[in-house]
Amino acid sequence: MTGERRPDASMTLLTTMMERPLDAGYQEAADRRVAAGLPKATSTRTVLVIVLAILTGFLFAVAAQSLRPKPTAAAAIKKELVTRIEALQERGAQQEAKVASLGKQVRDYEALALQQSGGGDLTNTIKSLEVQAGAVPLKGPGLTLTLDDAASTDTDANAGNRPSSGFQEGRITSGDLQIIVNGLWGAGAEAISINGHRLSSTAAIRFAGQAIIVDFRPLSRPYVITALGDPQGMQQLFEPSFAGVYLSQLTEEFKVRSSLALGDALTVPGDSAARLEVAEPLGSPVGSSAPSVPGSQKSTNNPPPSTGASRTPTSEERPQ
Amino acid sequence: MIPVLGLMAGLAVGLFLDPSVPVWLQPYLPIAVIAALDAVFGAIRAILDGIFNDKVFVVSFLSNVVVAAFIVFLGDQLGVGSQLSTGVVVVLGVRIFSNVASIRRHLFKA
Repeated sequence: MTGERRPDASMTLLTTMMERPLDAGYQEAADRRVAAGLPKATSTRTVLVIVLAILTGFLFAVAAQSLRPKPTAAAAIKKELVTRIEALQERGAQQEAKVASLGKQVRDYEALALQQSGGGDLTNTIKSLEVQAGAVPLKGPGLTLTLDDAASTDTDANAGNRPSSGFQEGRITSGDLQIIVNGLWGAGAEAISINGHRLSSTAAIRFAGQAIIVDFRPLSRPYVITALGDPQGMQQLFEPSFAGVYLSQLTEEFKVRSSLALGDALTVPGDSAARLEVAEPLGSPVGSSAPSVPGSQKSTNNPPPSTGASRTPTSEERPQ
Repeated sequence: MIPVLGLMAGLAVGLFLDPSVPVWLQPYLPIAVIAALDAVFGAIRAILDGIFNDKVFVVSFLSNVVVAAFIVFLGDQLGVGSQLSTGVVVVLGVRIFSNVASIRRHLFKA
């Protein structure tokens, strides 16, 4: 590293690059300073150096930040939507729990009021009607049928991300669920829930795109159908029935995954959307004055659809 | 030590302010960063060689950045922007590597 210039210094780029990576200016400046009687090197703490150091750091930071791939506007919007949906779903779940607890309170008060007004014998009628209408949670023995899309339909990779169109034969459709649920009803199920949604007499299993919607709430795979009833009896009736054969065909032809399990203590929740739609007065009013009227006794033997949770199965339109 | 603190301060300011770079300037940023790196490593080597000179450092830094940006600009105008950028990256990369190798010899004697 001397100040001498090689004859080919300006011509051979590679030689310069490999042998003298350091800027030749440093050596020349040092030589000049030595000739002038100064020390070879200047201080590294001059204002120029510090300013340039700050500038360099700034340049690095700005370049790194502006060249880093930024999340696109669409991704940001999608993220925000997901957050909002999740927050609303959580709120909905909280409200549902509140509805359930308030409903229980209402029923307790109802029973109390009936007892005080002398209509205590109506309580049992109400209870049995509530069970039939699916308004209260139930517990008991039954079957658990778990259905899932075929393993090949790239469903494991992105669960819950269903395409909005197209048909993949390995996927469970709403029609499959309808047939199987109807088969379970036919086999003697007393109460059915899918993924924790109770099927009442007005609940619909439908589809939107390829998502399955039960009672206006979208489900994600796997689909767990809980059916309360006599487990062995239901299984014996279900498997040779049309729905049972249909399910075994789905399993064989399209590799849809399904498993059936018997259980002793299964629970199905109540249908939180149950509400009063039709009310009729009893034959004679359950007055506060008359503790036990023969007329009201008679009407309990022939229960009218008048209790709080009864719902007419014929009503097709259900506003959300 | 003080220049290193300055570098940190510049980094912090840049990260904190996060200024938006105009789109027309963005193609020059990567090359400018590599040119700046080359100047910085050259300066470190000069310090270790005992021949550091602040004016040379500043001039080499600015000329590196300006020339690198100019080459990219010229390449864009001629339609060979990516090839010229590659050339600049190769040349500056080789220089950075040999300067760092020299620094390593100074520091670790190996």
